[in-house]
Amino acid sequence: MNDVPLRFEGVRLPDWPDGEISLDVAANTAAAVLGSDNSGVGVLVSMALGLTAPSEGRVLVHGQALAALPDREALAARRKLGYLPSGNGLIHNLSLADNVALPLRFGTDLADGQIRRRVEVIMAQLGLTAFASLRPATATVEQCRRAALARAVAFDPDLVLLEQPFNGLTDRAAAELLELARGGELTAGSRRTVFVTGAYLPPLLRPRLETRYRLVRGRLEPDEG
Amino acid sequence: MLFNQIRFTALHAVPLIILLSGILSFLLISQAVRELGRIGATELIGRLMVVAIVRELGPLFTALTIAGRSGTAIAAELSINKALGEVQALEGMGIDPVQYLVLPRVGGAIVSLLGLVVLFDLVAITAGFLAALANGMSGPRYAEIVTESLALRDVWFTLVKALVFGGIIGIVPSFHGLVVRGGPTAVPIAARQSVVACIVLIFSFAGLFVLVLR
Repeated sequence: MNDVPLRFEGVRLPDWPDGEISLDVAANTAAAVLGSDNSGVGVLVSMALGLTAPSEGRVLVHGQALAALPDREALAARRKLGYLPSGNGLIHNLSLADNVALPLRFGTDLADGQIRRRVEVIMAQLGLTAFASLRPATATVEQCRRAALARAVAFDPDLVLLEQPFNGLTDRAAAELLELARGGELTAGSRRTVFVTGAYLPPLLRPRLETRYRLVRGRLEPDEG
Repeated sequence: MLFNQIRFTALHAVPLIILLSGILSFLLISQAVRELGRIGATELIGRLMVVAIVRELGPLFTALTIAGRSGTAIAAELSINKALGEVQALEGMGIDPVQYLVLPRVGGAIVSLLGLVVLFDLVAITAGFLAALANGMSGPRYAEIVTESLALRDVWFTLVKALVFGGIIGIVPSFHGLVVRGGPTAVPIAARQSVVACIVLIFSFAGLFVLVLR
């Protein structure tokens, strides 16, 4: 069971008591659950992080239900995951570079110099070097999304959770971000396990997500689109 | 983070505190020298300076000023963090919002209040000296009266008040900022509620201190 990075076990959403979600996101794959705003798709990542408890069932991350952990342990468990929240969640009074450094400052024992060098490397990978000092309010949607992804993968987690990561992006930018989230390719598949939720998935990206579902009335249906 | 809070709350407020303290003390001591001089009780200026300004008005005025200036800023900033989903993002990344957002602000407010109250009192004593000179009292006499009246426990009372008021200014606006629901329209409401709550608590504790710290 622990080999499955993310598992939804008989999860019921509060607004859809008749539905049930059971899903295994296999290691080294990218999976997406798509749905409209009122489908409840917006809470799936929150449930995975243990920030929202399902009304029934459980969500396991590497075999552990984060919602059931004491606060301190849940925080420590979340620090091992990559998380790109809906709306980016960048801290508005920090520069993009400082936002990327944030999980490294709190989730690692790295010295300031090491963090700075690591942030420089990640910012370069994401094409953000020239925009590192911008605040989120003065950066474009794409720059903010890139910074939010850079922050999510800053300490190279093996599971990355992305909420509405492609909204407002061109297909090209969305494809580039997905590849960066996957972290490169191994013989087993992508280097990281990626779980995407949202309303929109650019057609260009469909072949790059091994598993795709659509959330309809609290149940998962294969996404044929 | 803590240094940034101290810089904003304390260093940026220094000119305002100097201005308020200087004017308040100058007015009070000018009137006192004149009125007490008529009844031959100028010796009481020292007690007036120590009890009224150093022990009571110094911490109270400083706390009210910082509550209005920095308390509202803390509430506004944290409510924006909350309204924009930044607090949930921090939780999702495993960063405790209390540790990251609240503790530096509380620490910054306490350290700042301690420093600013000491500054307020020093400026007040200096301005009182100038006021005494301007109203015909000799400088050495003023200094002698004030130092005779100032006891170590007055300094401790002042610092205890600064500590408590600083805690109020750090904690209350942080609470109001983090409990907002809804969008950006909740920001000014949180700022207003926090400054009102701070004023009520600061005055309440000032009254309590009069009863307790006799």
